[in-house]
Amino acid sequence: MNVTAARLGLLGMLLSALLLTGIGTGSSFLGPDRVIAALWGTGERMDMVIVWTLRLPRVALAALAGAALALSGALLQRATRNPLAAPSVLGITDGAAVGVLLFLTISSDAANHLTVPVAWQPAFAGLGATGFALLVLLLGGRHRADPLRLLLYGVALAALAKALVVLLLIVGPVYRASQALIWLAGSVQAAQGRDVVLLGSVLGLSLPVLILLARPLDQLRLDPDSAFATGLPVAAVRGAALALAVALAAGAVSVAGGIGFVGLLAPHAARLLFGSRAAPQLIGAALLGAAMTTGADLLVRLAFQPLEVPVGAVTAALGAPFFLWLLNRRGDPHA
Amino acid sequence: MRHVLPLSFLVVALAVLSLHLGLRPTGPATVWQALWGEGQDAAELIVRGLRVPRMALALGVGAALGVAGLLTQAALRNPVAEPGLIGVNAGAGFAVVLALSVWQVGNLGLLTLCAAFGALTATALLFGIAGGGRSSAGPLRLLLSGVTVAALLSAGTQVAIILDEKAMEDLLFWLSGGFADRPIAALDPALPVMIGAAGIAWFHASVLDVLAADDETAQALGLPVVTARIAILGLAALLAGTAVAVAGPVAFIGLGAPHLARAMRVTGHARLLPLAALWGAALALTADILARYLIWPGEAPLSAVTALAGVPLLLALLHRRAPA
Repeated sequence: MNVTAARLGLLGMLLSALLLTGIGTGSSFLGPDRVIAALWGTGERMDMVIVWTLRLPRVALAALAGAALALSGALLQRATRNPLAAPSVLGITDGAAVGVLLFLTISSDAANHLTVPVAWQPAFAGLGATGFALLVLLLGGRHRADPLRLLLYGVALAALAKALVVLLLIVGPVYRASQALIWLAGSVQAAQGRDVVLLGSVLGLSLPVLILLARPLDQLRLDPDSAFATGLPVAAVRGAALALAVALAAGAVSVAGGIGFVGLLAPHAARLLFGSRAAPQLIGAALLGAAMTTGADLLVRLAFQPLEVPVGAVTAALGAPFFLWLLNRRGDPHA
Repeated sequence: MRHVLPLSFLVVALAVLSLHLGLRPTGPATVWQALWGEGQDAAELIVRGLRVPRMALALGVGAALGVAGLLTQAALRNPVAEPGLIGVNAGAGFAVVLALSVWQVGNLGLLTLCAAFGALTATALLFGIAGGGRSSAGPLRLLLSGVTVAALLSAGTQVAIILDEKAMEDLLFWLSGGFADRPIAALDPALPVMIGAAGIAWFHASVLDVLAADDETAQALGLPVVTARIAILGLAALLAGTAVAVAGPVAFIGLGAPHLARAMRVTGHARLLPLAALWGAALALTADILARYLIWPGEAPLSAVTALAGVPLLLALLHRRAPA
């Protein structure tokens, strides 16, 4: 336990360093001391403006989106007992994108102005994500013994969602298709304080549920029969975990687009580092996910500035080979 | 022959129909005049300049994709396989985007070559990763690996597009897949490759028959299974790659056409292959016609139309087949 705590602490420090570097890096570089001073509100006025209005929203959004997606993936993998499950693999990300575009299409007037508050956007993302998640789970649920089939249903429904997205892009008011495409690919470049607050509150609201779920999730790792024998309401726990996973993914997608493979990669890395117990694995996954997206965003800004390469492209480039390895390694896929 | 003739009639009827329908429907008389006359009337120009090229591209690309799908399914012994799903289209797409943006290739023949090369590379990559040479690699596993390879290649394509803002519009249009507003000259270098690859496959139809059985039978009959499988997949990649070079990535036609061909209760790939080509052309023409009406008065992207029709088929196939 002490080892785990020490590792979590180290990871937290690493994440803080990444966040400080991320906030400090840009067209004018700020050292960590100046960043911290500005965050405390004691820095120079220019530094404060740069940090609070330009850099912090983007970095914070990247970190929060990574944490939300990682938690979503960890919950999905536990609830479906499928090590390859993740929001992007199961079509949940694309379902959320359909919801967002549907919202933009039906709630815009002729001049492309929204007629309802933008705060409704995540609700529609959640609706789309829930719809597609339910479809995938209903179709794939019949084949419990066959984890790969569930994923293929996800792939098929993701293809359907992508087609709907393309159609909505054309008929809808998102006339700047290239911008929408960047958002769909997962991007935090246009982050605003509003987005950070929104995703932060989704994460904050999910925290108590996560704490309540930690013990039952540990019991769920046993096979369903023994879990049931211990008096665990298996279906309820699984349903709550799935609902939470869908909500977290929808929140992340509605503000940061489809950043892929973080939800797959981070839970596995967390399992390797912190073991299979729910509490440390979930905390570790959230920290790792945040570190991954923050790092990917930093990489994008350092390597491609002034071009805006979507973060999702970087996470896909890193995550896809890992998924291939996971899929094709010899031995038990249920590890 | 029993099925080829009626199916050919269907394809011809669809082709003729596609000349008449659109935002401004034209009567048969106008179409006839446009085809054989020299008139400069707006309706005639639309038929001659827009609809005839679309029809020709749909015919060629659809047939190529249908055959590519049949070959892929036979070689991988997997009814759910399709060039678009296993990442072959994405490989061709990545190669073309690289060729256009990084190497500034303007020559259509060279571009076709790049697309074919990209498709072959993606196939080889998938083979290497998922061990497609072993029959023990489960069909679902192979498919998922292909999907992931496609995701990886699409990420590369995205970066390449964003790095080259000048060509972004063109690249995005090309990547959307479809037959409208594309240069018909692209068919010139592609058609010989398509016909050649399909012809070679047709002459070796017996190999396909044996390969589609099981490995033991194939080996007992003296067939070098792995070599044959690689050769067939290579032909499929050539067909799919050149199709992508012409019309951009179009998915699900390669999935649907072979199944429609098999549904006609024909045995033997020598007979299945022409049927798959005809069904591919018919599906492409139908999708192209539907694309004109789906979001009237706008034009829907072809890939969206094929996905809307293809995903239910994919779901049904997944539902029906025995576990991997």
